[in-house]
Amino acid sequence: MSGYASVPQQEPARKYLRPRFYLNWVGVFFGLAVGVALGLGYAWGVNPVVEFDTEPWQLRDADKAHYVVAIMLDYTYDGDLNRAVGRLLDLRLPGDPIQEAAEIACDLARTGYVESNSGLRAIRSLMTFYQLQGKSGCADTLILMQDPEATAVIDVVVPTPTLIPPATKTPTPAPPAGPTATPFRVIVPTSAPSQDFVLISVSTFCDAELSGVIEVFAQDDEGEGLPGQAVRVRWEAGSDTFYTGLKPERGAGYADFTMQPGVGYTVDLPGQSDPTTEPLAATPCTTDDGERVVTSYRVVFRPG
Amino acid sequence: MSRFLISLVAGLIVGIGLGLFLGWVQFPVEYVDSPASGLSQRYKDDYTVMIAGGYVVDRDLSGAIDRLRILGVDNAPQHVQDVTERFITNSRDVDDIRPLVVLAEGLGRLTPIMEPYRQVSVPGQSS
Repeated sequence: MSGYASVPQQEPARKYLRPRFYLNWVGVFFGLAVGVALGLGYAWGVNPVVEFDTEPWQLRDADKAHYVVAIMLDYTYDGDLNRAVGRLLDLRLPGDPIQEAAEIACDLARTGYVESNSGLRAIRSLMTFYQLQGKSGCADTLILMQDPEATAVIDVVVPTPTLIPPATKTPTPAPPAGPTATPFRVIVPTSAPSQDFVLISVSTFCDAELSGVIEVFAQDDEGEGLPGQAVRVRWEAGSDTFYTGLKPERGAGYADFTMQPGVGYTVDLPGQSDPTTEPLAATPCTTDDGERVVTSYRVVFRPG
Repeated sequence: MSRFLISLVAGLIVGIGLGLFLGWVQFPVEYVDSPASGLSQRYKDDYTVMIAGGYVVDRDLSGAIDRLRILGVDNAPQHVQDVTERFITNSRDVDDIRPLVVLAEGLGRLTPIMEPYRQVSVPGQSS
């Protein structure tokens, strides 16, 4: 034992007992928070990523409408519903994309867009598209699907009656040559021909065995086929008229016409109906089996 | 105190790096309400093909040119020619090339490379 009185050992201060870290975590977290804030502020506000790959869904509303019009115009060309819907989905329109197309047609129909033939045709393309898919919009009431036919004006030449002069006992001198009455023209406006039939529906289908065919059905009010109805198909350089009922195995009111690829056709019952509004385009389509054929149409007329 | 400052600077550096990564790469600014002139080339081409398809049906040349204007192209015929030739050169879908060639022809820009893709005339077809 030593002579020193035992001195009770003092505990070192706690801070000397803690393990030494080179970093101060408070400083690290504080710096990290400020740094992230600064980095985001610079990346989003001061120097954001330069936009160069805009997708259709990022377009402003006006240009989205133009894009939808382009989709519809192309649909009238190729009749590819899947492709058209896929493109509409690229636009990420809220809700049902086909109904949204109807809304866009409605908006366009309310603006000056319809003042040009080109715009009018575009809206009709939209209307045809969504109507075929069972949708409707205000454009249906604002825009006629077809131009009203201009009132035909015919000139009728009405001869003036010439009365036989009464017999005279003494010859009368010949009258001096003067102005003679000339026939005058009466302009008689004709009323638009009454429509016995109206176009009920136009639908498309893609069938390898019926490639590029326009099937026409003339039906009565009950949906029964009407044989012997003249059907006229017109295209840019010609027309053809044929009659329903010549293929009784397809129905009494059935007639068909084979289209040439790439040509647009209108169909009517001459003198009894208006023609189809939009040309029926003989455009390529793909069957369920993946076979490339030409789009076919089914057109139904019924008494108006 | 110096330990605190060193830690602060280290956190700041890491934080800025992280912030830039998040802001530029992970969650970059997404623009909406963009004009069609900013569309990516892929969609500009797609739009041009759609307009060409519409032209094949309605033969409305001025309408087609008007619709192409929203892409910000000053010279629509040149744009159509460029797209058409690029599609042909890159062996793109013939179904897309054909309407482009029809539109290019309508705009007076039919070039020799497009000739094989012209639609064959059939009865009732003008081209």
